[in-house]
Amino acid sequence: MADPRGFLKYDRELPASRDVQVRIKDYNEIYKPLEKEKTIKQAARCMDCGVPFCHHGCPLGNIIPDFNDAVYRGEWGEAFDILKSTNNFPEFTGRICPAPCEASCVLGLHSTPVTIEFIEKSIAEKAYEIGYAVSTPPTTRTNKKVAVIGSGPSGLACADQLNKSGHDVSVYERNDKIGGLLRYGIPDFKLEKWVIDRRLKIMELEGVKFKVNANVGQDISAEELVLHHDAVVLCGGSTIPRNLPIPGRELKGIHFAMEYLEQCNRRNAGLTIDPTVEINPKGKNVLVIGGGDTGSDCVGNSVRLGANQVVQIELLSKPPMDRTETNPWPLWPMILRTSSSHEEGCERQWAILSKEFISNGNDRVQSLKVIEVEWKTLPETGQNKMVEVAGSEQTILCDFVFLAMGYLHPQYEGMLAQLDIKVDARGNVADQNYQTSNPKVFAAGDMRRGQSLVVWAIAEGRQAAAAVDQFFLR
Amino acid sequence: MNTSDQKGLYVPELEKDSCGVGLFANLNGFKQHHVIDKALTMLENMEHRGACGCEPETGDGAGILVQMPHLFFKDQALKEGFKLPYFSEYGVLMCFLPRESKLFNKIITQTEELIHQSNFHVLGNREVPVHNSGLGKSALSTEPKMMQIFVAPNTRLDPRELERQLYVLRKYIIHSVYKFIAPAEDTFYIASSSYKTVIYKGQLTTYQLRQYFTDLQQESFTSAIAVIHSRFSTNTVPKWKLAQPFRYIAHNGEINTIMGNLNWWRAKEDHLQSDIFSEQDNEMLKPIPWRGLSDSGSFDNVLEYLVQSGRSVPHSLMMMIPEAWEHDDQMLQIKKDFYAYHQNLMEPWDGPASMCFSDGIVVGATLDRNGLRPSRYCVTDDNELIVASEAGVVDIDPSKILIKGRLQPGRMLIADIEQHRIIGDEEVKKIICQNKPYGQWLAKRRKKITDLSSTSKIDLISSVGPTLLERQQWAGMTKEDIKIVLYPMVEEERDPLGSMGTDTPLAVLSQKPQHIGNYFKQLFAQVTNPPIDSLRERSVMAFTSRLGASGNILKADEDLAAFIYLEHPVLTHLDFAKIDQIQHQDFKVGTLSTIFDLSRPYALESAINALIMQAEKLVASGHNILVLSDAKISYGQAAIPSLMATGAIHHHLIQTALRSKTSLLVQAADIWESHHFALLFGYGANAIHPYLALETAWLKNDLTLPEDHPAIEKKFIKGLEKSLLKIMAKNGISTLQSYQGAQIFEAVGIGTAVIEKCFKGTVSRIGGLDFEGIQREIKERYLIQPKNNLRDGGIYQWKRDGEHHLFNPQSIHLLQMSTQLNDYSTFKKYSKVIDDQDKQATTLRGLFHFKLGHEIPIDEVEPVANILKRFATGAMSFGSISFEAHTTLAIAMNRIGAKSNSGEGGEDSIRYQRLPNGDYMRSGIKQVASGRFGATSYYLSEADELQIKMAQGAKPGEGGELPGHKVNEWIGKVRHSTPGVGLISPPPHHDIYSIEDLAQLIFDLKNANRDARISVKLVSKAGVGIIASGVAKAHADVILVSGHDGGTGASPLTSIRHAGLPWELGLAESHQTLLKNKLRDRVVLQSDGQIRTGKDLVIATLLGAEEWGIATAALVVEGCILMRKCHLNTCPVGIATQDPELRKKFHGKPEHVISFFTFLAQEMREIMSSLGFRTINEMVGHSEFLEWKPNQNWKTQYIDLNPILYKEPIEPGVGTYKSVAQEHGIDTILDRTLILHAQPALDDQKHITGIFNIKNTDRATGTMLSYEISKKYKEEGLAAGTIRYRFRGSAGQSFGAFGAKGLHFILEGESNDYLCKGLSGATVVVSPDRKNTFDPAKNIIVGNVALYGATSGEVYIKGMAGERFAVRNSGASAVVEGVGDHGCEYMTGGQVLILGMVGKNFAAGMSGGVAFVQAKWDDIDQKCNKEMVALEAPDASDFELIRTLLRNHFRFTSSRTALEILENWDILKDDFIKIMPKDYKLVLEQKKKIAAELITSDKS
Repeated sequence: MADPRGFLKYDRELPASRDVQVRIKDYNEIYKPLEKEKTIKQAARCMDCGVPFCHHGCPLGNIIPDFNDAVYRGEWGEAFDILKSTNNFPEFTGRICPAPCEASCVLGLHSTPVTIEFIEKSIAEKAYEIGYAVSTPPTTRTNKKVAVIGSGPSGLACADQLNKSGHDVSVYERNDKIGGLLRYGIPDFKLEKWVIDRRLKIMELEGVKFKVNANVGQDISAEELVLHHDAVVLCGGSTIPRNLPIPGRELKGIHFAMEYLEQCNRRNAGLTIDPTVEINPKGKNVLVIGGGDTGSDCVGNSVRLGANQVVQIELLSKPPMDRTETNPWPLWPMILRTSSSHEEGCERQWAILSKEFISNGNDRVQSLKVIEVEWKTLPETGQNKMVEVAGSEQTILCDFVFLAMGYLHPQYEGMLAQLDIKVDARGNVADQNYQTSNPKVFAAGDMRRGQSLVVWAIAEGRQAAAAVDQFFLR
Repeated sequence: MNTSDQKGLYVPELEKDSCGVGLFANLNGFKQHHVIDKALTMLENMEHRGACGCEPETGDGAGILVQMPHLFFKDQALKEGFKLPYFSEYGVLMCFLPRESKLFNKIITQTEELIHQSNFHVLGNREVPVHNSGLGKSALSTEPKMMQIFVAPNTRLDPRELERQLYVLRKYIIHSVYKFIAPAEDTFYIASSSYKTVIYKGQLTTYQLRQYFTDLQQESFTSAIAVIHSRFSTNTVPKWKLAQPFRYIAHNGEINTIMGNLNWWRAKEDHLQSDIFSEQDNEMLKPIPWRGLSDSGSFDNVLEYLVQSGRSVPHSLMMMIPEAWEHDDQMLQIKKDFYAYHQNLMEPWDGPASMCFSDGIVVGATLDRNGLRPSRYCVTDDNELIVASEAGVVDIDPSKILIKGRLQPGRMLIADIEQHRIIGDEEVKKIICQNKPYGQWLAKRRKKITDLSSTSKIDLISSVGPTLLERQQWAGMTKEDIKIVLYPMVEEERDPLGSMGTDTPLAVLSQKPQHIGNYFKQLFAQVTNPPIDSLRERSVMAFTSRLGASGNILKADEDLAAFIYLEHPVLTHLDFAKIDQIQHQDFKVGTLSTIFDLSRPYALESAINALIMQAEKLVASGHNILVLSDAKISYGQAAIPSLMATGAIHHHLIQTALRSKTSLLVQAADIWESHHFALLFGYGANAIHPYLALETAWLKNDLTLPEDHPAIEKKFIKGLEKSLLKIMAKNGISTLQSYQGAQIFEAVGIGTAVIEKCFKGTVSRIGGLDFEGIQREIKERYLIQPKNNLRDGGIYQWKRDGEHHLFNPQSIHLLQMSTQLNDYSTFKKYSKVIDDQDKQATTLRGLFHFKLGHEIPIDEVEPVANILKRFATGAMSFGSISFEAHTTLAIAMNRIGAKSNSGEGGEDSIRYQRLPNGDYMRSGIKQVASGRFGATSYYLSEADELQIKMAQGAKPGEGGELPGHKVNEWIGKVRHSTPGVGLISPPPHHDIYSIEDLAQLIFDLKNANRDARISVKLVSKAGVGIIASGVAKAHADVILVSGHDGGTGASPLTSIRHAGLPWELGLAESHQTLLKNKLRDRVVLQSDGQIRTGKDLVIATLLGAEEWGIATAALVVEGCILMRKCHLNTCPVGIATQDPELRKKFHGKPEHVISFFTFLAQEMREIMSSLGFRTINEMVGHSEFLEWKPNQNWKTQYIDLNPILYKEPIEPGVGTYKSVAQEHGIDTILDRTLILHAQPALDDQKHITGIFNIKNTDRATGTMLSYEISKKYKEEGLAAGTIRYRFRGSAGQSFGAFGAKGLHFILEGESNDYLCKGLSGATVVVSPDRKNTFDPAKNIIVGNVALYGATSGEVYIKGMAGERFAVRNSGASAVVEGVGDHGCEYMTGGQVLILGMVGKNFAAGMSGGVAFVQAKWDDIDQKCNKEMVALEAPDASDFELIRTLLRNHFRFTSSRTALEILENWDILKDDFIKIMPKDYKLVLEQKKKIAAELITSDKS
């Protein structure tokens, strides 16, 4: 193990973020680098637990104590080998994962957890730096052809795994660039896009074929695709957003978050945006509805674009600052989280129910009528019930409204409909160990699981690939 | 081994016994009745060393061997109407015959016929008169008719030849009668058949022997020699013939390696050719050790054969129990040569042995190399020799005593009645060793590895064919095996340590493909014999092996010296190449490939069959070294597990009588853990070449052989040696040669077919896989491997894709959350996660289900509060866990009326006062473990239960170490040791080497606190039920049977995983066996070992437990998250740590613990109501409410758990749970008088004096009196010298044990073993009787193991003491005039001044205190074990101390030695040498320095 007493010697330390006033002027990553010695000390804090809850908490099952030990010993190559054995893209998760591993880190029980995510990122970057992360194409090929549809994290992980097994893999992406949500969802200040490109290059060198602007079910017949491949894996994501069907929803200036975020990322990538559809909140009042990560990304982008004010509202109550008795370690902590975007300037309100969008008289939204609510637990059922607080009505000014209230299910028309893929009660693709109702067709990621984290998407992609391997063995 | 008519778990072959032995001889050869009378008195005075069963009138066995009472028999014969010829012209067969007349007639007729066929004739028969009125029911029910058949040869024979023919006759009769009359085996027996000796014995108590055989009372019944024996057996099924003495020996102890010895003997038996016996005679003698004999009986049979075939008794004994010669630099070369030569003839019969022997002319005694049994002797001026397990067993006028001594380890004492003298060890052995030119023969024919040559280059096996990774995958190595087992073994040269218990599935329950070795559990010494300390007592251990053939051992010639001697049995590539390429007429190497084609059905079994046939051919054609190799494996092939290949060949060669003609060298990939090596040796390998382990260790990062590969090999072999010696030592076995083939394992999950072919004789009680099953598992291992990687393992650390653990992130979380929130519904989720083992079972009980009972309303079930009282927490010491964690458990358990356990670290007396809120931090159970840390009279008095820890589930048979960094000021104070200095708990209790010793400690502790229950903690293994019966007969109140999976603060990983058996087996066996012996109602039966839920508890109860212990789960409730880092002091939740910062992180609360136990009780009640039980008592042992089913894992189809569920049929009225009080025998002891007399002192602290006579049956004198003092005056005791008592005579064992402050005892005479053990402040003086004329400095007046675990007080001994003086002393000061071997072992404090000789291995493991020895520097330098101590000259303050001690010594004992030194102080003071522990010195110096700095800083 790493230093047995390391956790007693060193405190948790993360790289500092750049000054807010400076960083909101660009879209670059917000963290400063941390000296190597400090990273090693952070790794030394790992206790190499007999029951590594972090390893349990990580959807990928990253073997965290082992790579911490390797980092502590300065064996970066070994650390990378351990890391990549469970995680195809540590450079992504090292940046954007909410790190359930850290939430369940044993050190977090009575102290602060090990900076696992940062160490993961450090290992990945070090591996590129020293030329250890290079393409290693499979030595033997199986002559099996697999199509992966969708190039988000699950699609990429699945493709990578299948290619490593020696299969001939093609990735189909309906957008103009590979990456899915990684590319057009997550803002650059959280994940700079060269990070994706660097990885894609390796995958290409290893033999994965990428096909962009290829909308399966529309440009390409899904049935034919299945016919011409030994297996197809659907990784199309959960793309249908939750709407807010209240009066005034039809007014201009109200957008689903992803519409806005994609535009921002395209702009940052140097692509031109059609001015007729451009959303530019400069000098305007922005309202983000939904308190999650997507909402937070809308905040960060709006601040950077020079919004006059940014307000984010959430239907649920404000979470506590610390864990409650009924939410102990190692459960995911239901506490107030403040993202870097929040630090950059945003007013947050909780327990707010949206009632009606008010027009500026020009078919554009001008404000939102809301009311405060109280959440009460019904003693007989234990369920939470929302009660409006009489007299708490207020109006929030907004020129732009971004709806960031989550996603419902995958898109049915097109591919799923053509293949007649069955869905489950929640509207996601139904499966048996990643195999859909069509035996040659598999599904992974949000398309199968419903909306979730990048780390889950990677895990799904890997498991679906394993299921395909098994399928070929039979 | 489990014969078909056995339905339960009881295995009669595992019965044990142990005893008291002695002899009385008139060396002038005068045959007197006096000799017999005295010997019988000796026997009677050792009654406490024997035992009785469920009825006090039935003893376990007693007997006497005497010289032929010719004149007596002559008279008796005349009365019977026949005439005896002269002495030495006839023989007497002492026969046990059935009482039933038909069978009697049948046997006697046939016997007489056989006699006539054998060139003998019957002179007459005499029915031996017996008086059976006092016998108990059990003994009477099987009482034989005793007949003496007088026979004479038809032709006149030389006496020696007559004796031999009588021997052949006896064997012939027995073998023939047993063969033709089936029931005879139980009822017919010939105790002796000799012209020189006759044996009287039976299932009797020591007192009954004299009463029963009226012959023994006759004045005319005379002998010059009498050897006696009293038996303490673990069984109560009457067996008259198991009583001792046997024909040559009476044995106290146990042969640990008996299984191996018998197998090796069988391998030799067919080749025995003697010039002395005719071929026909030889055939009549076989089999020489008859089946169904005890270990001692088998030993006697082999010894008898060796003696009758021409070797003398001492010579044969030297072959069978050699001294520790391997590391003895001072031993004569001829003696070393003798032992080295005989090494190739016979392996040692290893185990504790005190033997008295006689052939009717020579009489003597010997001890095994460890000297773990006491043997005291004295010689009188009438030329009488008395040897016995105890001193003072017979009254002798002190003025007549010439010598008082004790036998030393490995030594022999012989008296020749014809020469009228004692022949010393040196003399007798010298004569034997000079008899043949052993040294020359060895020089000529024996080879060592260094004598052999080979090609210089080393070829890596994995450089050809499959890669290293592929070989590792096929062998079943995991990442963990390499990272956690193999690398640390090389880096630290020892088995890696771990902590907490194992909670992974048994091999047969696991879904991961298993190494065959995982199906075997290491066994260990427990109660009936002691484990050894392989580190501190390395000098008695041997790790050598040999290759080549051994031949006809009846010969003694040069050919038997032709073998390859191996310094160690683990070969490197170079060593292997040298042997493989050997070109020498004496050696012929044959190679057997263990590779087979996996794809065919029955491939494994047929491959093994082919292999053994091939082996047989090779041996038949003269190959005396067989190499079993899988090195040439290729793709698509598999290797037979090397263990199966080795075992199968070994057993086949034994059966075909070829085994002794060859040796087995195993070269295989599947050997890397010490457990694998232990198994291979245990099943017959002579040497091992672990090529894949070596290459894995070498090729850490790249694939080329590193420069330093010899250093890596050396470290690996060193680490293995340490680990294997420890595995041997925990069975009490000292030499690898005796361990080889001894099969000291129990299998769990291996089926009969495989056992019979590969592991014959191994206990495997639940059946298991056949060859097909094992083949399927091998196949899975070859197929299911990750790409380009090894499997994770996940055994030592939870891994998602690794082995299943019962305590995993989910179960830990649910348990903690439920108890912290006091939420029963969450607890039910937890218990469901644990109990539902349908997919993946971890424990045997995981396959158990409750049968539907007659449901009753839950209100009718006894309340939670009642059930709570039956809980205990497991033993965890303050030291291994923090004060906070320890007291939280104590407070919780006291609140609910249950008991917490102190563990072995003593207890701070502040915990004996209640807290203001009424809480109580006192541990109800006080543990007494081998370290005896802080085990004072006061500590013992503050207990409701005293628990003797015989073994611990995680590391049975091992001691422990508390590293110095965990010994802070506080721990040091509580343990009576120096902070910063590490502490060692020895593997054995040095006052328990056998069952009668345990009975003594139980007696001591009952005296030390008569209000407390005495509990004995055992660990499950085959035979534990038999041991439990012995423990019940030794008067324990509680027996705890622990499972193998119990927790630990630090143990070798190999022990945590591979030693001990599940409690389901041990508990059920104990309950079944106790019932069979009608002892169940005398004891509370308790069980523990990873008990987690109400289901576990109900199963334990249905299998026989009425109380339960829980430790790991209780710690988890306190916040433990199974870091498994307890040994590093870095516990992040403040439990297993003494670090003040970390202790602050402890968040456990008594309320959480109480919630947990309440939930458990509630869950139990729910199950009880569904089964229809109202109380725990009525539920105990109702195993018919359980059934078992295989689960989804295919392997479970192979096993059968019904033996666990077997219900012993009982007669009405036999109690099934504790309902009868034990008879402790403390009502009329001497201490009652002492207490009565001391009342003024006890009541009013008045000074009192008294004078008392004492004899060896007065045991633990002063202990109960000390309890009275401690109860009232607590730790402080009384003022020094308040109670001054003088005793005269031979004190029994444990004189002054736990003697409290205020006692001043003067013993005039002598004392037996354990003088002043646990001394707690008293002053004790021992000097020889005033009438003794011998030189006290040369005579033994104190037995072994004096001052064991003493914590304070003073002892002055005018004379010598035996072995292990002041072992584990932590504070007492003592002056003695000489000590035996292992003096001051493990001492941690106090002062010892020795004016005279010290024995070998002085100061081994001594970490504190100081010893001064008056001796020559060179001498003490050689005798000292300097691993932890250094010799130095005393300084001025030391001299002051020595002088004070000398003055006291003289004042109390009038020692002439002390006076002489004091008078010549200036000259003689320089003779003193100080022995000082190194670490202790450092700590003291540091303290001094800090104190000095403080003073300076104060000044400035």
